[in-house]
Amino acid sequence: MTLARDTAMKNPTNSLKRRFSLKFLKTLVRIRKSRPPPSPSASSSWEIRWRAQKIKLAAYSSMALSVGSKRTWSRALTMKLRATMGNRRWSSWKGSKKMTKRRIVAKKNMEKRHLEKDMNSGLQQLRQLVPGGESMDPRSLLEETAHFVRCLETQVRVMRSIVEGFPC
Amino acid sequence: MSSRRSRSMQSGSSRITEDQITDLVSKLQRLIPEFRNRRSDKVSASKVLQETCNYIRSLQREVGDLSERLSELLGSLETDSDQASIIRSLLM
Repeated sequence: MTLARDTAMKNPTNSLKRRFSLKFLKTLVRIRKSRPPPSPSASSSWEIRWRAQKIKLAAYSSMALSVGSKRTWSRALTMKLRATMGNRRWSSWKGSKKMTKRRIVAKKNMEKRHLEKDMNSGLQQLRQLVPGGESMDPRSLLEETAHFVRCLETQVRVMRSIVEGFPC
Repeated sequence: MSSRRSRSMQSGSSRITEDQITDLVSKLQRLIPEFRNRRSDKVSASKVLQETCNYIRSLQREVGDLSERLSELLGSLETDSDQASIIRSLLM
């Protein structure tokens, strides 16, 4: 791997921020045009919450798509979101959670024998928080976490600046 | 063959050492606002992981809050108003 590509793999970049912003804004426009399903209990605050849920999913999927397939977490998140949004095209995509018994045993051995025992609880929590974390070895989990955190920060920064930039 | 007792782990074809783990943990530590100003030798790895989890959760909460605010703002836009065209022009 060249140094440039290696760096790009490791850290989110400005071009990622631009790709995410564009994707997310386009989705916002689409969401604005959409209307919630008619419901007898519909109120404007319910509509706001309904739309907020769509916006939240759009934010995560825009970021995952902008990162693309080069990160385990972005692949896992994209698949999870597509399942959530009920996109039938992807329902048959099995995905990469191929955790064989040997890998599971190897992973457990690693964690018990060689890592500080008190890291196990932290690692376990990270597995729940980082998409695709359940089947990662500890090193990958730590690497993916670092990238995931930086992308989340980028996502929050962009959403904040959209909110602040809103004409009112 | 090195006689240094490096405690190594094998994961299929990749060998990983405790040094590498320590390295990755300190990389994480530099990302967490809580620890950015502290020297790395004062924070235990498990504390770094715990704070990382807390930080991720707080970022996710913030995404939720910002989504609510965006939803309110979008709802208050009038169709075909100046505001709507400003948003559209952002995408040009």
